[in-house]
Amino acid sequence: MKYASLKKEDLNKWLEHLKKKARLYAPRKKENLFVFRPVKNVKDVCLEYMPTILPPKKYYFPQKEKLLKFTVNPFKTAKAIAEFEEYILFAVHTCDIAGIQCMDVIFREGPEDPNYLNRKEKMTIVGMECFKPCDKYANCVSMGNHVPRGGYDLMMVDIGKSFIIHINSQKGERLIADLSYIKGANENDMRKLEEKRQEKKKIFKEELNAPLPKVYEAFSSQGSFDSPLWDEVGRRCVACGNCTAVCPTCYCFDVADEMELSFNEGTRFRIWNYCQMDDFARVAGGEDFRKGRPARQRHRYYRKFKYPVDKYNRYFCVGCGRCSRTCMADIILIETVNALLDPENAASYVGSVKNRPEVK
Amino acid sequence: MIDREILLEKVKTSPYKPMKGRIIKAEMLTEKEKFFRIELEDKVNLAHEPGQFVMVSIFGYGEAPISICSSPTDKGYFDLTVRNVGTLTSRLHQLGEGDTLGIRGPFGKGFPIDNMFGYDLVIVAGGLGIVPLRSLMRYIMHNRNDFGNVQLLLGCKSPKDLLFREEVKEWKRRAEVKFNCTVDKADPDWQGNVGLITTLIPGVDINPMRTYAVVVGPPIMYKFVIGELLNKIIPDHQIIVSLERRMKCGLGKCGHCQIEGKYVCQSGPVFNYAQLKDFKGECHEKAA
Amino acid sequence: MKKQPKPKVAFFDFTDCEGCQLQLANMGNTFLELTELIDIVNFREIMSEKGEDYDIAVVEGSISTDNDVKRIKEIRAKAKILVAFGSCAAIAGVNGIKNRTSLEVAKERVYADKAHTINTIKVMPLDRVVKVDYYILNCPPYIPEIIAVFKSILMGKPYPLPNYPVCVECKMNENVCRYEKDQECMGPLTRAGCNSWCINNGNRCYACRGLLENPAADGAKEILEKYGLKVEDILNHFTLYNDPQGEKYDQEFAR
Repeated sequence: MKYASLKKEDLNKWLEHLKKKARLYAPRKKENLFVFRPVKNVKDVCLEYMPTILPPKKYYFPQKEKLLKFTVNPFKTAKAIAEFEEYILFAVHTCDIAGIQCMDVIFREGPEDPNYLNRKEKMTIVGMECFKPCDKYANCVSMGNHVPRGGYDLMMVDIGKSFIIHINSQKGERLIADLSYIKGANENDMRKLEEKRQEKKKIFKEELNAPLPKVYEAFSSQGSFDSPLWDEVGRRCVACGNCTAVCPTCYCFDVADEMELSFNEGTRFRIWNYCQMDDFARVAGGEDFRKGRPARQRHRYYRKFKYPVDKYNRYFCVGCGRCSRTCMADIILIETVNALLDPENAASYVGSVKNRPEVK
Repeated sequence: MIDREILLEKVKTSPYKPMKGRIIKAEMLTEKEKFFRIELEDKVNLAHEPGQFVMVSIFGYGEAPISICSSPTDKGYFDLTVRNVGTLTSRLHQLGEGDTLGIRGPFGKGFPIDNMFGYDLVIVAGGLGIVPLRSLMRYIMHNRNDFGNVQLLLGCKSPKDLLFREEVKEWKRRAEVKFNCTVDKADPDWQGNVGLITTLIPGVDINPMRTYAVVVGPPIMYKFVIGELLNKIIPDHQIIVSLERRMKCGLGKCGHCQIEGKYVCQSGPVFNYAQLKDFKGECHEKAA
Repeated sequence: MKKQPKPKVAFFDFTDCEGCQLQLANMGNTFLELTELIDIVNFREIMSEKGEDYDIAVVEGSISTDNDVKRIKEIRAKAKILVAFGSCAAIAGVNGIKNRTSLEVAKERVYADKAHTINTIKVMPLDRVVKVDYYILNCPPYIPEIIAVFKSILMGKPYPLPNYPVCVECKMNENVCRYEKDQECMGPLTRAGCNSWCINNGNRCYACRGLLENPAADGAKEILEKYGLKVEDILNHFTLYNDPQGEKYDQEFAR
């Protein structure tokens, strides 16, 4: 069975089943936005949602994570990683799945990061394919992440009265095995899926003004690196760090020790840290190797569109649009990239997305 | 996904877990720099290359990257020389013989010693730069006939800041190392040069094609020294530098040490000038 | 850590509401644990401050009279370590509002016809008069930070204040940004360290921890103006807690 089918009226039953299998995290509403949260009541789960404030990254690369338990005297380090429980990320968008794939590349590259690998091993991903663009800030089509490209265990597609579920791993298969209400998809279901995909092609349009190889080329030129665009972006930036916090592929961290009041036992943590912070590249001696907001913003963009492409042949922008959505200063990724593609008219792109009416 | 068994093994040997090191010798070299000789638990050999660094931990006070200043040919221990500049290093200065600390590493790429066999060497050390270069110098002393002429150019603020004074004399006496030193500010007893280290380079007699230049010093020094070396027509690949950056992991993950797309902790800290030239503008040490 | 005699800690207060000391009481068991590690030799209303020796002076409140200046210098002379405890001591806090008017006007407003009997000077944080070794920010102080600072003192290491804005912690807590809801917030310009305490509880950031060392004035001005705040309003928001720094912001924003 490669594709299964689940009637919508049975969804909650399935969610209850999943809740018993493992810790279940799913999107739910928080004020006017959405967040991933542990599912208490399956009725709170939102399947149609805008990208959440933070990506599910917080579950496999937590904001503050134990690296080490230590004792000063006698010198002792305890097992660095507690046993994690199995967990399911439910209704993850394809952009966020692409984010997990990027994290895999980083943390699996030697020397491997056992904390991440361990959490990843406990993770089961149930994806949810989008059939309408979430808003004007997303650039998932240009990044090629508006459609499933692997990296999940199950992928759900809403075809009206039911969901088609693509089974992509044994782990996924186990979540739907032996359930009377989940059956193999029939021909009719598959035809509907095909129709949905055709329809989607008409609605989803590329957001950047050039295909990715052109974008990469633009980022590769010395002119782009030295572009006055970065001064303008840096002038607006307040270095709040929001763009990096919400990015599914930002993985920088700080390491800090916390001592117990015994002053003999303590814990070493890693905590999210951002290249947008003032002290990020400053050494103890005082020298700051990346001064000023223009250089820091440039670095953020280059870490999405240039450096990882050189190193891994992979773009580290997944197109979720979070950085643009969260920016108080209206630094909009699509505007910045389009301006870089067309340096002569760079100024004309400021506000070109921001002032556009919302997609409906 | 990787096999569960393999994973558990990896978890046990987490690269974030420091080994236990014991200080077997500690002494102040100057007012601000302290020397430590460290032995790992069970006499484990650090097995490093000259130019590599370790992450030194003191639990509760944090962790910092520190250059190793002994040669792998010094077996059974390794040396560090630390300037008191931050929380970790100031705590480190309070430690002495018999105290323990955490060690991770060695990390990074060291000096390309194999490529340097048979070549003449010009070694340029500014200030604390002599610390990582001591690992190279000691290696050279141990394998002196693998290398051609060796010249050591030293620069520091004032004569009292000169590190490893006795050892330098010994190198000079024992193994035909040409040695020249300059200070920014002399004291009455000083008989050597006064001025920036760049002033020593034009007078150096070399065959550029047969010479490797190895430069380590404060960030501001590189540009000018590299400029002088390029004037001597030393090829880009034969100008070697070691760069200092902020580091939190040593594993190419935490992001702090990045120069553009390169992680200094993994691709460096040792680079050659050809690599530096490829940077578009984030490398402060690149010559103008 | 080796067993050493417990350091003696004395608490003092200057111009303030004593809310900071109340926070110590709110610490509950942790405070008791802490008292096992230190000897409290002076706590206002319990003991007199004369004749006691102390290693660590924890000082609450800002400097606002000539006598305060004299007294804080005496405390500094005795203490090995001086801790500025709370916004008033660290950045002058709410008291700083006084500096918005001339001393004469301020005196008359408060003491009317008795104004001439009052000695008062411009309000200052402690570090305008003496060297401060540790800062505990916030109004009232944030308990985890109180603990962290005391730990640092006892370990003999500095407690570096975060030099990034409250937004960093706020986003980690996955709060809906106040700007998202068209409400103003001082978060982007305020020094973090409180774990976005107020915003987590549905409030806005009042900048009680003082501003960042390197606030992005241009960008911030644009943002605040975009959300309908005038420069005047912005200054009012800043100066609720930050007047001694106010001159700096006046310059930043007047440009």
